[in-house]
Amino acid sequence: MKGVLLSGGTGSRLRPITHTGPKQLVPVANKPVLEYAIEDLKEAGITEIGVVLGNKGRDEIQELLGDGSKYGVDITYIVQGNPLGLAHAAGCARDFVGDDDFVMYLGDNILKSGVTELVKSFEAGDYGAGIALQEVDNPQAFGIADVDDQGNVTELIEKPDHPPTNLALIGMYVFSPAVFNAIDDLEPSWRGELEITDAIQDLFEDGYEIDSHVVTGWWKDTGKPEDILEANRLVLEEKDLTTAGVVEEGAETDGRIELPDSSIIESGAVVRGPISIAENVVLRSGTYVGPYTSIGANSTLENIHIENSVVIGGSQISASGRIVDSLLGKNANVESAEELLPEGRRLVVGENSQLKL
Amino acid sequence: MRIITHSCPTCGTIVAANELEDNRVMKCPGLDCQDVLRFDDLPEEAQQHFLEHRGRYQL
Repeated sequence: MKGVLLSGGTGSRLRPITHTGPKQLVPVANKPVLEYAIEDLKEAGITEIGVVLGNKGRDEIQELLGDGSKYGVDITYIVQGNPLGLAHAAGCARDFVGDDDFVMYLGDNILKSGVTELVKSFEAGDYGAGIALQEVDNPQAFGIADVDDQGNVTELIEKPDHPPTNLALIGMYVFSPAVFNAIDDLEPSWRGELEITDAIQDLFEDGYEIDSHVVTGWWKDTGKPEDILEANRLVLEEKDLTTAGVVEEGAETDGRIELPDSSIIESGAVVRGPISIAENVVLRSGTYVGPYTSIGANSTLENIHIENSVVIGGSQISASGRIVDSLLGKNANVESAEELLPEGRRLVVGENSQLKL
Repeated sequence: MRIITHSCPTCGTIVAANELEDNRVMKCPGLDCQDVLRFDDLPEEAQQHFLEHRGRYQL
């Protein structure tokens, strides 16, 4: 079994964060989303992984993952270039996959339970493909699968008006090499892409059984800022958080706090977990960091009240206001304008930024 | 749709034909690899197929 990890896409819904990097490297609990996928594949026993790169962030992703040895896996890079669809991305991996089965994992997705059960379920039978499903409240908004009593897929329908089930495809798949023949036979869809659901449907029509595995526990597509915040909350809820750094006398802490050696919570700061603080972070007097916040490396906070937010790193935040439900990009600074005249907020805001003042 | 790729002989990075055709001559996108990849590296039959169906490989 091999892994194919899709890391392309423009990240348009995460702008301006993705103006300067790929969406798969946005951190959740101070770890890039892509690393969760690598760990899930490794946990499922998959150590040969093809990472499919699009037009954006190729070097950054390769710099992070390298040859995979630091994760105990072996990585081959596959350059898809134009985003011609998930089936095209899979097809580009054909030489890498060879005659093996493979898991296809969307690199901007994160799920609680990993892919081990999906792989086991697929390997227990003689399937052409296996798909991960999750129950959703609004099946009209998803690709939906109908399944029989044995869990075999009988139909896939894209955004149905009258959904037969509430089981949505969540972007985790297992394929036999037979999928490559199905992809060869595909024609681009109305949106000019080779659709993976069409390839699965073709496998089904060619007589292959399609396995399904209903994922329990949470799953997040981290495509939008609010999804990053939600994923951050979900991960912090369960992650082991260790306090190794300095908590000065006079600082007030409560709950689970991840604090590495190089970071410090100074006297007069208040921190309530669960939170994740990365390396070389200083929380100065007057700072309040509330639950479900991640503070990225090399940041200094002073006087600010912040909660349920992600600071990616390299930030100086020293205003005396409150920041909630926010995502701050790398090296973004928020400073006080209190003593500046004329009174008013001073902004240098990039394209596609969203501010609520 | 036939998907055509080429593997860098030095670092093993796999590159889709649409990427090769866009650039014709390109430095291998594998980090720190200095190889030069060309659309002409593809078998002639694969080049021909790609060029005849070029529209499908565009956005």
